[in-house]
Amino acid sequence: MNNTFDAIVVGTGISGGWAAKELCEKGLKTLVLERGPMIQHPVDYTTAHMDNWDFEGGDKITQEIRKRQPKQSRTNYVNTESTSHFFVDDNKHPYNEDKRFDWIRGYHVGGRSLLWGRQSYRMSDFDFEANAKDGIAVDWPIRYKDLVPWYSYVEKYIGISGEKLGLPHLPDSEFLKPMELNCVEDELKSAVAKKYTDRVITIGRVAHITEGTKPGLGRNTCQYRNRCRRGCPFGAYFSSNSSTLPAAEATGNMTLRPNSVVSEVMYDADTKKATGVRMIDAETQEVIEYKAKVVFLCASTVASTSILMQSTSDRFPNGMGNDSGELGHNLMDHHFRLGATATVEGHEDKYYTGRRPNGIYIPRFRNIGGATNQKDFIRGYGYQGGASRGNWTEMIKEMGYGEGLKDAVLTPGGWKIGMTAFGETLPYHDNKMYLDHDKKDQWGLPTVTFDAEIKENEKIMRKDMTVQAAEMLDAAGFKDVTPFDKGYSMGLGIHEMGTARMGRDPKTSVLNKYNQLHSVSNVYVTDGSGMTSAGNQNPSLTYMALTARAVDHAVKELKKMNL
Amino acid sequence: MDRRKALRTIGFGTTAITVTPAVLGMLQSCQTQTSSFNPIHFSKEQFSVVSQLMDLIIPKTDIPGAIELKLPEFLDGYINIILNKPAQEKIVAGLDHFIKGSLEASGKSSAGRLDRADLDAQLAKYLKADQDQQKAWQDENSAYQKAVKEDSTLAQPTSAASYEFADQLRSMTINAFKTNEYIGENVLAYVSIPGEQKGCVDLMEATGGKAWSL
Repeated sequence: MNNTFDAIVVGTGISGGWAAKELCEKGLKTLVLERGPMIQHPVDYTTAHMDNWDFEGGDKITQEIRKRQPKQSRTNYVNTESTSHFFVDDNKHPYNEDKRFDWIRGYHVGGRSLLWGRQSYRMSDFDFEANAKDGIAVDWPIRYKDLVPWYSYVEKYIGISGEKLGLPHLPDSEFLKPMELNCVEDELKSAVAKKYTDRVITIGRVAHITEGTKPGLGRNTCQYRNRCRRGCPFGAYFSSNSSTLPAAEATGNMTLRPNSVVSEVMYDADTKKATGVRMIDAETQEVIEYKAKVVFLCASTVASTSILMQSTSDRFPNGMGNDSGELGHNLMDHHFRLGATATVEGHEDKYYTGRRPNGIYIPRFRNIGGATNQKDFIRGYGYQGGASRGNWTEMIKEMGYGEGLKDAVLTPGGWKIGMTAFGETLPYHDNKMYLDHDKKDQWGLPTVTFDAEIKENEKIMRKDMTVQAAEMLDAAGFKDVTPFDKGYSMGLGIHEMGTARMGRDPKTSVLNKYNQLHSVSNVYVTDGSGMTSAGNQNPSLTYMALTARAVDHAVKELKKMNL
Repeated sequence: MDRRKALRTIGFGTTAITVTPAVLGMLQSCQTQTSSFNPIHFSKEQFSVVSQLMDLIIPKTDIPGAIELKLPEFLDGYINIILNKPAQEKIVAGLDHFIKGSLEASGKSSAGRLDRADLDAQLAKYLKADQDQQKAWQDENSAYQKAVKEDSTLAQPTSAASYEFADQLRSMTINAFKTNEYIGENVLAYVSIPGEQKGCVDLMEATGGKAWSL
């Protein structure tokens, strides 16, 4: 096999897929390395057509799964019988916790693009200017206008369904038609519109095709089965497997190599550039080096950062590109798992059709100017939630048992509604990951240790998150309004980010405004590790836009012979 | 069919019943069904009690009941693969309490002798108790949960433990019922591939008043 390429992409998730597609379509011979096995769309979605009764426990997390995946199971939802094969075996892929950190991963072609929540929101200048305004961490080196064309570019390709609102703090995407609110969500929307001037209820913005088709390996309109995490045989939501990787493949320029664990980026002190990557074949243990003019690290936040940390040389004794000492620091996530629930009277004669893979969204309404500014915390949060007709089980104590109970459980239960907030976590230098060279994994590579937690600002914000949720449900006249806080530990948002942050100054940041390492111009990092602040929006859409933009930059620089 | 009742009828009135091949066939099929199944989590005797209780919670109507749908078999497997050890042990302990109470109330000597009427009476005592009584048992159970952390030798009060078991069995039976293939595909409103999504529609038009299966 030829070991020299124009470009190397490490990782095949949401960022890696985009890097592969863009590089290949721009004519670069590109090697795409994935640490896990191949997952072929749609043939490897082995559980996609199974119903709950086709699983021994009705599609729950079994004790056997909990044994293999004790950390993945902390989510209590992602790795049930129908999906556990897409999540890592924690015993085979260990990590360490100075403080609890829930690192939820899928090691296979497509990565977490196959498993993601698909909620897709643009960031705005309220986010890009936030650090500078608050005097926190470092300033983003870009502003919203830098990303606008790239948001549009990726959105048109992947398909985002949603409702245009014209909000400055949550800019509209290029939308396909929105999914529908149900009767109770509509009622909440009216009630909130009546009582509040600062907030609005809308349908979630999701990477689902709701009309027509999109390019890729067969991407069709959503069939509303809500089994996305098993892989979608209709290609209705965006994944690398159905979309960007087939596009890259179609150019004839991509060499995709699964089972390839990248250990480091190689550096040439004379040219001050990376020469390629070293990897270990996960099956044969063979160590192989590949050369390229440009390297894109898209292995996910923690993995890309680990690779840089392992890429040591005389020039970079503390990890490639780590002149600032910030590599591995400023680890962020979104904190959540709190809000409020209620029951709703009326609408007994109403129902819904289709299993909507989406819910309602309440865009941020705190600290966006004027009366929304809070005295006791900075930044903001949004809510995701929804209403449904439940199963009577919990409400029918008085029904006892027998025929009456049996009849009741076959009919839709009363309406209930709930929402959970997703809040911004600040970039704290103290919140970090580092390598433990004494504890090696099965390939002899150092394991990752996490040391991160939410702090004062998040804790104060959390109080407001439950209070406001309950207040809105009250405003709608709903019953049994119950605030809840189920607790949160870092990582559980599955939005880990920030460990190789972008910035203007090489002394305080790792990446520049094009996601290039300040000090090694032909290495780009375009996954979540580049995030300078977290916003409160689900971040994948931003990673895709940043990746497409970075590839555009890299190819232009290559043409100018600058890399 | 109610095997126990049939057997009793035969035992007490040999002259009153003609044992036709059809009846024999039914008896045999009932017997094969119970005897061929080896529960993993429960003993055979416990499984027989649990089966009767589940069949009281979800009895046969024009729609099959718990035993016919093999919900007890599902539950046995469910407990085995989904629940952790403490939760598994708790169910057996609760069942033991429940059986003990049933024996006291019926004056019978062993679980094998408890019939449907005995178990129905006991289930009614707990699941049809007034709300205040149910609340009192719940409070008793939370108090016990706290106390047992300090002193692991404490025993759970029998009535409260029986109530907790009955309540949990009801939830698990409903879960088993709604996860059942026959119910899921033929009784509840089942659409494998909906193809469209409408937020607010008329219940009767959408499903004829049934809940969605999935």
